[in-house]
Amino acid sequence: MTDRTDRTDPPNNASAQADDELLPCGRLLSRTWDDWERQTDDPHLRSCPHCRQAVHGLDDLESVVRGLQAETDTSASAYDTEPLTRRIMDVVRLELRPGRPLPLGEPAEDLWIMEAVAARALRAAAETVPGVRAGSCRLLYGGDDGGDGRDDAGTVEVRLDIHAPADAPLPDLAAQVRERVWEAADRELGMGVTAVDIRVTDLVSTPMSDDDDDDDDQEGGTA
Amino acid sequence: MVADTDDALFAVRAAEGDEDAFAVLVQRHAPALLRLATSLLGTAAEAEDAVQDAFLSAWRRLPEFQGRSAFGTWMYRIVTNRCLNVLRSRRPVASLEAADDVPAAEHTTSPARIAEGRDAVRELREALDLLSAEQRACWVLRELDGRSYEFIADAVGISQEAVRARVFRARRSLTQALGAWR
Repeated sequence: MTDRTDRTDPPNNASAQADDELLPCGRLLSRTWDDWERQTDDPHLRSCPHCRQAVHGLDDLESVVRGLQAETDTSASAYDTEPLTRRIMDVVRLELRPGRPLPLGEPAEDLWIMEAVAARALRAAAETVPGVRAGSCRLLYGGDDGGDGRDDAGTVEVRLDIHAPADAPLPDLAAQVRERVWEAADRELGMGVTAVDIRVTDLVSTPMSDDDDDDDDQEGGTA
Repeated sequence: MVADTDDALFAVRAAEGDEDAFAVLVQRHAPALLRLATSLLGTAAEAEDAVQDAFLSAWRRLPEFQGRSAFGTWMYRIVTNRCLNVLRSRRPVASLEAADDVPAAEHTTSPARIAEGRDAVRELREALDLLSAEQRACWVLRELDGRSYEFIADAVGISQEAVRARVFRARRSLTQALGAWR
């Protein structure tokens, strides 16, 4: 049935060898080029006229490739990616993944917030602690099992991953983050939170530039 | 290193539905990916479409991404595969064979043009269009993007041996095609 003679790409190395060439010096072209690419220091390569000619072809190709790279670099540096970014985000915003609705306020209020929106607010609150970066923020809702459990309906458990500055005492830092998250949940969102679990997933050394900025601010006062 | 850590944070947020975090990733990675796609496809318009498709696919697949690799590497792979599909759909399989048989004499070039590097570059672009999708992709990632054979094998989803074979064949075709102006 598949009696076609036209070949596509070789599935393995064997077919590639069929495409190879035996140079008059007895070496395969593929080997000579391979040595060239790995910059092997081989006396034969330097003395053999056939190998040198074969490598010369690649050198010529290389110089044209540099020209192509330069052209690509020039057009790439002049290119404004802003319109592309906007187009992508326009489509993304039509395909949001907002997560589940979570209850706000008292059970009788029937007020809800989408999980992704609440998580964003809580991450931002955590990041008000200097050096803290917030990652995953999961909101576990205990009131999923119906209207009977009135006490825990409308309460949410927060599980937050953070990157902490390497030089900060972690217990203090975690307490600070917990407090900020709690405050934001309570005051900004009006969300009843029963627990804020914090997991430190990375310790990040503080970039020097932050300190520099502070120094600049202080120096600004001296005139 | 810091950028990777940062990427990982934004990728987790985006996976949890934070589109603002995703916008940061798009802004950060679009220029390099666009450059890659332009090298692979040859035209800016097609490259833009490929990068846009790749990011939308990434947004949909992020919940399953789990950060197994760096976000940039993951995107690189998605864009490469997207471009490979575009290249594959570009011409019928039958012309692949013809690509290897293109006589160098077809690329006749007058001596006056030989000195013009830009003409040589244009000829290289034309010669690239004659390569098969896989040859072109492997050669571009190796030669224009300077990637290791191991990296390319992973990005394209074939063995390192297969990558080497394709790069070799591409080099043969390209040196032959450019032979006329040498």
